[in-house]
Amino acid sequence: MDILQINQTSDYKKAGPLQAHFNPYSYNGGTVLAIAGENFSVIASDTRLSEGFSIHTRENPKTYKLTDTTVLGACGFHGDVLTLTKVLDARLKIYEQDHHKQMTTGAVAAMLSTMLYHRRFFPYYVYNIVAGLDDEGKGCVYSFDPVGSYEREAYRAGGSASAMLQPLLDNQIGFKNQQGVTRIPLSREKAVNLVKDVFISAAERDIYTGDSILINVITKDGVTDERFPLRRD
Amino acid sequence: MFLTRSEYDRGVNTFSPEGRLFQVEYAIEAIKLGSTAIGIQTNEGVVLAVEKRVTSPLIEPSSIEKILEVDNHIGCAMSGLIADSRTLIDKARVEAQNHWFTFNEKMSVESVTQAVSNIALQFGDDDADPGVMSRPFGVALLFAGIDDKGPQLYHIDPSGTFIQYDAKAIGSGSEGAQQALQEVYHKSITLKEACKASLTILKQVMEEKLNSTNVEMATVTPEKMFHVCTKEELEEVIKDI
Repeated sequence: MDILQINQTSDYKKAGPLQAHFNPYSYNGGTVLAIAGENFSVIASDTRLSEGFSIHTRENPKTYKLTDTTVLGACGFHGDVLTLTKVLDARLKIYEQDHHKQMTTGAVAAMLSTMLYHRRFFPYYVYNIVAGLDDEGKGCVYSFDPVGSYEREAYRAGGSASAMLQPLLDNQIGFKNQQGVTRIPLSREKAVNLVKDVFISAAERDIYTGDSILINVITKDGVTDERFPLRRD
Repeated sequence: MFLTRSEYDRGVNTFSPEGRLFQVEYAIEAIKLGSTAIGIQTNEGVVLAVEKRVTSPLIEPSSIEKILEVDNHIGCAMSGLIADSRTLIDKARVEAQNHWFTFNEKMSVESVTQAVSNIALQFGDDDADPGVMSRPFGVALLFAGIDDKGPQLYHIDPSGTFIQYDAKAIGSGSEGAQQALQEVYHKSITLKEACKASLTILKQVMEEKLNSTNVEMATVTPEKMFHVCTKEELEEVIKDI
């Protein structure tokens, strides 16, 4: 019928049941990346927010400061990101009032996991990465799937260009597929430069990643911001 | 007691013109009928000790349990209507596990106490929803535990008021015991000294002669966390008092 295009003419249109579709999600792209160091962690995201072939804005960083030592990177469906970060902020405030202390990065990660799993059958369409410092002051990164499975890792990329970034990180930080390499600990400068390099490469190929990146470095002294331009096409 | 009864005794939630809630006050009085319980906080950990009233030789003493585990790092001693404590301890245990489930960390002693205090005043005479108490709880609790702030001891009474103590006694012998605690307590008391002191004081206020079957003792330390003392451990302490 479709090939013959006879359903286009009303003469041949058949009466029958119609199905209305509910499309609760859209995809707004974006990439986040986090690296844990010895006494710091770095989390970065691009600032492009797009839908299909159009760009909504070039100024939408996807990292959210949760506590003095915890930053969340979240991308996917922007509507869900907005709600999730709002609920997280509220939960963080309630915890602080109930227990008279700030949540640790590990506690934030555990809570986020339960929040995501509670939406197991209508999930938040969000890829989350939490970066911060652990109880000993060491850098830590937790990565999540949209329904709450989570794991502590040394480095992780998430979102639209994650499949391009992750192998680069595996090679450069995890020293994968290298022979006779000396495993030197990652310095803060090296980590930040690596973030810039891999995002430049991702912006070349992924249309949902670009415009600029926001790099947050988390240390015991707080969270710093750094902007770095990417290609805007 | 009957002489002072007034119409404000009737409703459990009715304030008297002087601003008192009689039923809550009576509940606090009920604690003073219970067996004595003592808690002492030290830098090395917290000790809880309670008297068991073995009123008949036919009673199986181990079936009287007045020190319970709330979580690995928190224990609870009680005095008053022990049956009422079931609801409260259950709440404390559920809250502690819930906190661990959600945040993957141990719940603080203060927060557990707060959670229990929240249900202490949830009573009323409307039979709206089942499960809600029709009267105040007739039990006082001592929460002993270790968290980020170190060893801590909290006391909670039927009014829901909770206060942190260095050392606290509840129950029938509490007045004398509290006095004795004030004399014996100092900031640098060791756990061993505190164990001995708690049993010494119990011995003073108990009607029966203290032995390893009519007292219960537990410690919360960074090494063993919550630990109920065995008969042997009790006898070890009792032999030098």
